[in-house]
Amino acid sequence: MKLTKILCLCLTLVLALSAFALTSCSDDGKYNVGVVQLVQHPALDAATEGFKDALTEAFGEDVEIDIQNAANSTDTCATIVSTFVTKNVDLIMANATPALQAAQNATATIPVLGTSITEYGVALGIENFTGTVGTNISGTSDLAPLVEQANMIVDLAPEAKKVAMLYCSAEANSDYQVKEVTRFLTDKGIECKAFPFSDSNDVQLIATQAADWADAMYIPTDNTAASCAEAIWGAIADKKIPVIAGEEGICAGTGLATLSIDYYDLGYATGEMAVKILKGEANVSEMPIEYTPEEKLAKKYNKDICEAIGYDVTALEAKGYIAIEK
Amino acid sequence: MFINYLQSLPAAIAQGMIWGIMAIGVYITYRILDVADLTVDGSICTGAAVCAVMIISGQPMWLALLFSILAGMLTGLITGIFHTFMGIPAILAGILTQLVLWTVNLKIMGAANKALPATKFNLIVARLDLYKSIFFLALFVFAVVAILYLFFGTEFGATIRSTGANLNMSRAQGINTNFTKVFGLVLSNGLVALAGALLAQYQGNADINMGKGAIVIGLAAVIIGEALFSWMARNNFAIKLFTVVLGSIVYYIVYTTVIYLGLDADFLKMLSAILVAIFLAVPYWKKTYFSKASKKKKEDASSVKEAV
Repeated sequence: MKLTKILCLCLTLVLALSAFALTSCSDDGKYNVGVVQLVQHPALDAATEGFKDALTEAFGEDVEIDIQNAANSTDTCATIVSTFVTKNVDLIMANATPALQAAQNATATIPVLGTSITEYGVALGIENFTGTVGTNISGTSDLAPLVEQANMIVDLAPEAKKVAMLYCSAEANSDYQVKEVTRFLTDKGIECKAFPFSDSNDVQLIATQAADWADAMYIPTDNTAASCAEAIWGAIADKKIPVIAGEEGICAGTGLATLSIDYYDLGYATGEMAVKILKGEANVSEMPIEYTPEEKLAKKYNKDICEAIGYDVTALEAKGYIAIEK
Repeated sequence: MFINYLQSLPAAIAQGMIWGIMAIGVYITYRILDVADLTVDGSICTGAAVCAVMIISGQPMWLALLFSILAGMLTGLITGIFHTFMGIPAILAGILTQLVLWTVNLKIMGAANKALPATKFNLIVARLDLYKSIFFLALFVFAVVAILYLFFGTEFGATIRSTGANLNMSRAQGINTNFTKVFGLVLSNGLVALAGALLAQYQGNADINMGKGAIVIGLAAVIIGEALFSWMARNNFAIKLFTVVLGSIVYYIVYTTVIYLGLDADFLKMLSAILVAIFLAVPYWKKTYFSKASKKKKEDASSVKEAV
């Protein structure tokens, strides 16, 4: 009983301390921005970095950015967004799909900008998505044009009749990209088969099966694949098939070539949207989703993997591909 | 400022009540049946998946929740069969079912993530309408506690309690312990799936990853409830179940406080573990250092020394 009382006292102390811990609380002329990021990950971190830089460049000391990480828990996303709503922040930036979905169900008035989200219609449950959400939500998309990527596969591996799609079954964004690319390739008469793996434990087994069956492979912007790209390469190296990757990180580990976007730039673009909303120059419900402009899409290739599978590097360079720097 | 902090507590209470329902499910298996049931990591997502799919296809809310509960009960049945009919130890049986449910949940949703926007559907639980959410959640908690109180007071309910208290004696009394274990698992996972359905509405999606670490939160709620509120629950089963929900609310108040203070969220998992560890240690410390029995032991030891 005594210990219980001590613990209750500790809890009360925490509650009391919380009153002093908060310094700025909204009415001090500064902009308060809350960033909820799903998980620590190079691409998401870069996007947040870009967002932060854009805001500090525009406002300097007049903006307070609260960056919170949900440790890959959708439940924590809801808690974090809930505290932002209670603090009545001026803008919420949701980095990744579950963060955006939590924000959608938490506020209808605070502007929400999403980033690192591939398809807003799917993420928000909107049928017949026109490109503008129309409510308090907008943002940027990391969708590298899937048509261009499908064309890349046909262009760089013209004799390929069977293409394997390797991705993590737990990622909705990957599922969407695979479905779209499959559609484009099937229209061109190429047989596609999906090879989903559930996590980094079975990725090598599935990758080997995929490489056995296929003439070429496609890996979308999949977070799990990005984290075990080297493991995938280890499993498929001896099959010597070309792998087209959805983004540069995966390409550096296991891909032949990629049409990459820069997540820092994406975050920066989101930050610029935020600046407009905070200054009152634009209304979030009228802003359409922004994508990486075509001139910023970089065609990159991995030199070491090219040599390892015996692919002609000069042909790639002639088509405008740049080698990935180490 | 403090007022602003207090304003963040209703949301913590709402989340605490959702996980409280899940914790009651964990209480049934962990405390009553004395079985560590790891199925909950999977069944919470099953409940969420079924609810999301039904609401999106236009079914009424009560039907969606009913089917979530039934789906959860099925998952409990699978674990029960693994454990009793196939003789697999309880923890392993739970893990195996979890693996099965990974595939099942993906197939139910058809994707890894299904959005449940509160703006589009008439959800009963959402951060947008906090006081309506708390009202409905309180209703659910009362209903669950009342039904369970009445159930465990019946003769069949008593056989489930005795199975957990003393397995061999129960069997000696002619109770079919296999049946009671399976029934307990079915009941527990039905509740967990209900909590999953409500959680999906609150967080705006049903996601394949949402169950990870759910068992820890459930156990934390049970243990915090016991440690802090056992003085309320002397011999009253209904109040015991309430303390479980209270424990979950306390857990979420602490969680929300940490996030509100702006502490590094990477510490949240470690904080949860330390919280559970401390609260698990409290009854042990009480027994070893603060109870009459231990004090008597010390006195006896010192009096023996003097005599010598």
